[in-house]
Amino acid sequence: MAFEILEPGLATTVQDRGRFGYYNVGIPQGGAMDALSAEMANALAGNTPAEAVLECTYMGPRFRTDDAAVIAVTGAPVDVKVNGGARGEWSRLELDAGDEVSFGILRGGTRFYIAVRGGIDVPVVLGSRSTYGLGGIGGLGGRPLRAGDLVPVGNGAAPDGSEPPQEIDPGLRPVFEKEVSVRVMPGLYDHRLTARGMETLLGATWTLTPVADRTGLRYSGPEVEWEPRQQPFGAGSDPSNIVDAGYAVGSIQIPGGKEPIVLHRDAVSGGGYAMVATVISADMDLLARSAPGTKTRFRSVSMDEALAARAHQRSLRARLWGSGD
Amino acid sequence: MRILPFGEGALVAEFPALDDVLAHFAALSASPPPGVTELVPAARTILVTFAAPASTAVVRQWLEQTAPHDAEASTAEDSRDIVTLEVDYSGQDLPAVARLLGVSEAEVVRRHQHCVWTAAFTGFAPGFAYLVTPENPLQVPRLAEPRTRVPAGSVGLAGEFSGVYPSASPGGWQLIGRTDARLWDAAREQPALIAPGTRVRFRAV
Repeated sequence: MAFEILEPGLATTVQDRGRFGYYNVGIPQGGAMDALSAEMANALAGNTPAEAVLECTYMGPRFRTDDAAVIAVTGAPVDVKVNGGARGEWSRLELDAGDEVSFGILRGGTRFYIAVRGGIDVPVVLGSRSTYGLGGIGGLGGRPLRAGDLVPVGNGAAPDGSEPPQEIDPGLRPVFEKEVSVRVMPGLYDHRLTARGMETLLGATWTLTPVADRTGLRYSGPEVEWEPRQQPFGAGSDPSNIVDAGYAVGSIQIPGGKEPIVLHRDAVSGGGYAMVATVISADMDLLARSAPGTKTRFRSVSMDEALAARAHQRSLRARLWGSGD
Repeated sequence: MRILPFGEGALVAEFPALDDVLAHFAALSASPPPGVTELVPAARTILVTFAAPASTAVVRQWLEQTAPHDAEASTAEDSRDIVTLEVDYSGQDLPAVARLLGVSEAEVVRRHQHCVWTAAFTGFAPGFAYLVTPENPLQVPRLAEPRTRVPAGSVGLAGEFSGVYPSASPGGWQLIGRTDARLWDAAREQPALIAPGTRVRFRAV
């Protein structure tokens, strides 16, 4: 079976949990930006967490299914319509052959997810179905959906025959706020900022600019002060330059001391800007949910706090999937 | 080697020189403990990312205790073909590069073609390779202000490296030319034209 794309939306891509082991050739992990929302869509549709879903950005697609299907929509708040009639997010939706699904305007956040029982069945490329646009791989032809695309859907039953949830407990659903506090660990190159520069990074309220995509998110705010420095040869003369090094997902760089950039799941694997702090992995979804204009504070946490946050994420997922891990 | 934490899911090992990086990378990539997801060599560093069952302690110990491979032995036998890239040497930073080196533009172009370059490591964007050459006669700093958009095929210099931008992207390298070669083609069996170890020559057109 397949979904026929009538209107593609702004940037609708196929994503799963990502592609690992190719970062050293410049291919990032990718995968759903708001991983927890994508997982919840899969849970509702009766899939395993590994199935590929559609990630919709700002403006969703309009599509028709050629067969009966079980779908779920999660993530940023949006009106879901089936044949023009209002349906809800965060719950299981049954479609008949020929049904048309469309979406209203986002009421907050940036991305929502559509899962379908059986998963989006595009070929696996380097271990993943995720679309990586810059490299032109994964998904449908390595690109966002276009009108006229037929998006293949796999034949899947619910894993081990268990009945998937009818809806996600409201207490478990992510929230989409206009003000967020994001936890970071200072380093690697935090010593390159002056004490005042670090205070600015951690004390200021930053505003997410519209320059925000799967690669990274850019924030506006006050200027951050760097230590004056004789640069090593080969590094640029910008005080934030370093000799090229690998970038972890979540790392924050501040080229020229202005407008911090947080790298996200389609991060470039390396470059020549000092990484002054790293967003903890548990808060990467939070960034993915932020809409431009979101007021953002970066709060410093210790390694122990970061690990505790990661453990908390695992326990959330365990509740979602009703298993030990 | 100096090991630094990079968030709670990554570590970076710093080395004195590129040769040390490559020798340690060769050894580390042959023996990753379970849970290590990525290993990214760069000019002076190796980035390691990991998840359970790996932990900071386990990964740190592995980094400290893995003996480097002899870099000489691993590269000497490399008999890969040389990839020749045809370049239009009309990059916008060619005059500045000549000035920085105190030579003519023609001499910059001559040196760039004369050297045999080797891909030390890849990264930044798919298909981007950091090319080195012995006693590199074209060492210039990167731009003070990076460009927000560098066209695909741009040939650049920065520090000890030369490189070609596979796709349009932001970039801070000094641009000396352009090539039509497809550095990255997802439809090819080997999408990257230049892999670590590949030797590269440039030829003016």
